[in-house]
Amino acid sequence: MAHSPTTRRRKKANRAPFLLLLGSLLILLAGLGYPILWQIITSFQHFGLEQQFGAPPTFAGLENYARIFTDDRLWTVVGRSLAFCFVNAFATVFIGLMVALIMRAVHGGVRIVIQIALLLAWAMPMVAAVTVFRWLFDYRTGIVNWLLTSLGLSGFDNYAWLSHALTFYFVASLIIIWMSVPFVALSLYAGLTQISTDVIEAAEIDGASRTQQLRYILLPMVRPVLSIVLLLQLIWDLRVFAQIRLLQDAGAPVSDTNLLGNFIYELGMGSHDFAGASAVSLFVLGLTILISWPYVRSLLKEDDQ
Amino acid sequence: MKYKKIAALVAAASMLGLSACSSDNATDDASGSTGKGDGNITLWLAGSDTPQELRDYLVTTFEKDNPGSTLTIEEQAWGDLVTKLTTALPDEKNTPDVVEIGNTQAPTFTTVGAFRDLSPIYEELGGKDLLQSFVEVGSVDGKQYALPYYFGSRYVFYRADIWDKAGIDVPTTLAEFTDAAKKLTTADQSGFAMGGQDWRNGISWVFANGGELATVDGTEWTSTLSNPKTIEGLQMWQDLVMNASNLPTTERDVAYWDFINDGTNGAAPEASAMMAPGWARWSIGDMTKNDDGEEVRDGMVDDSKFDIFALPGVDGGVAPVFAGGSNIAISAKSQDPELAENLLKIIFSEEYQTMLGENGLGPANSKHVDSLGNDKFATTMIEAAAASKLTPAAPGWAAIEGAFVYEELFQKIADGGDVQALATEYDAKLTPMLNGN
Repeated sequence: MAHSPTTRRRKKANRAPFLLLLGSLLILLAGLGYPILWQIITSFQHFGLEQQFGAPPTFAGLENYARIFTDDRLWTVVGRSLAFCFVNAFATVFIGLMVALIMRAVHGGVRIVIQIALLLAWAMPMVAAVTVFRWLFDYRTGIVNWLLTSLGLSGFDNYAWLSHALTFYFVASLIIIWMSVPFVALSLYAGLTQISTDVIEAAEIDGASRTQQLRYILLPMVRPVLSIVLLLQLIWDLRVFAQIRLLQDAGAPVSDTNLLGNFIYELGMGSHDFAGASAVSLFVLGLTILISWPYVRSLLKEDDQ
Repeated sequence: MKYKKIAALVAAASMLGLSACSSDNATDDASGSTGKGDGNITLWLAGSDTPQELRDYLVTTFEKDNPGSTLTIEEQAWGDLVTKLTTALPDEKNTPDVVEIGNTQAPTFTTVGAFRDLSPIYEELGGKDLLQSFVEVGSVDGKQYALPYYFGSRYVFYRADIWDKAGIDVPTTLAEFTDAAKKLTTADQSGFAMGGQDWRNGISWVFANGGELATVDGTEWTSTLSNPKTIEGLQMWQDLVMNASNLPTTERDVAYWDFINDGTNGAAPEASAMMAPGWARWSIGDMTKNDDGEEVRDGMVDDSKFDIFALPGVDGGVAPVFAGGSNIAISAKSQDPELAENLLKIIFSEEYQTMLGENGLGPANSKHVDSLGNDKFATTMIEAAAASKLTPAAPGWAAIEGAFVYEELFQKIADGGDVQALATEYDAKLTPMLNGN
């Protein structure tokens, strides 16, 4: 997001970004263009298991969309997914920011320990991480229940965390936040290191308190990074799928804990309603654009300034 | 400045694209299955039910009988099986040649033409001697597409020492069983361990009361949960689960055997009884060492401590339990169908059928059922299997399983819901699904 020094130079470099983007653009078109096109076509057809095995699909018009949008299940899942996505994205970015500030404040040795810990959490394969959390929260043998009951909270004796939607989402959020904080923390820390020490020193001389430094200097200066990681978190948390699915496999009320990704999977792969699943997927694509639009616009505005 | 705008848009679009893509397409990580007509065939087995010894036998025998060809056996998890078959079978480049499939899942695929017609070799593979209920579930219009692979049945495993100490005899009716299980229930011990979503065991109570999950008229399926007999069975099961099981009502695939084994350092077991397929025996008993020096369960050697009985019926006798087991079929898109048929011939040979029986899996060919032996495990299994029932062979069955509809219904019942109201609600939901709409 650095501003180019002069207008003249900017004009000269006109073509380079396009050339740089070309490679990834071609791969994206090949990798994503076909599936999206297939989804759009399928969402206007009657497409079930028979069609998957070779029967010719028939045109359905807007029937799939009408069916999906009048289904109460969809709107419950949409509301739930949005709430889940916003809570998790903001919590992740907040915790990530705190960790980044701690890393900035501590000595080199401690910082390296924190960085290694973050990288390990980040590098952990997701299935392994979810399995560990399932063990931690197991109602019979989990260490969490053991700790809580040892502390005298007898209500947690054999408490089934995954059996109730609210505690289910609590565990799911823990896993997701735990796995996403490293990316946010490291990105923000990288952003923070770019802030010149002169600025901070000047602020200190002027008598700015720590909170004032954070609010008026650090945060505005890492704002571009902050908004891009928040945008990414929102998108990632809206399409969360595997963590929820793996937790459901441990025994949970399935329809009460489905998020959009799981709903689409259940519709498509579970019930072989590929047309309906495509329609919901395209709806989610629209939803994602809607959520991220304000950010994209503000990014564009920043560029214009 | 315009190019930056475009660049930002492209970057944003690519992120959105990533999200759209991964929210829909199921990852197809089907491994390098061969299907190129190159003489190498692939067999998909479901779960770990087929022991290693039998797998080795299949590979060596096949490769000996078909020089130059190879057989690769890949194990698929039961939970992902339908999904993997849905994506792999229509693709001639990636389809497995021979697949094992749950008996109740077979109609979903036979009705859409996913399997090869086996009627030309049906007689050669055993014909009328094959387990007929399984043959029917894999047939469409009188042609066989999926044949029985093995059958199993469920019966009750219980802690004889605990029942004796409490002075409770083996029950002879289903009502007696409920009473016994309730008496043996304390805060730390389930009389009968049963997860709330575990409808595969739960439907035994429906069948025992003469109820059905669904009936068919011609080709039109109707969910019959509101049938008075079905309701009676569901209420009986509700009474049992609510008053004799301490398990969460969300439990579905439970390793029940853990519950009747002694805990660590000889701690009391968590349940006095549970219900499971016969092979669960090898996960039950006291600790012992096998030939390789590994710690294993002894398979219920001490019969004063661990014992079994078939689930009793409402008026005595044996209750009809869910008939477990699987079918086996050849993919319609297999590039080596002759070799695949050769493999089926090995599977239905006397030698392999006998090996199935010796390992506690009910052989598909009734002529070889005596290979199961004649100890109590074999006789109880055969007795329970004789009375067992299959779930409806409706085209939409796998879709219902895939959407966890019965899991949800049984959980609500186990939570104490009004059975009558739930039955009406789910009948309305299930009837269109059964017919594949």
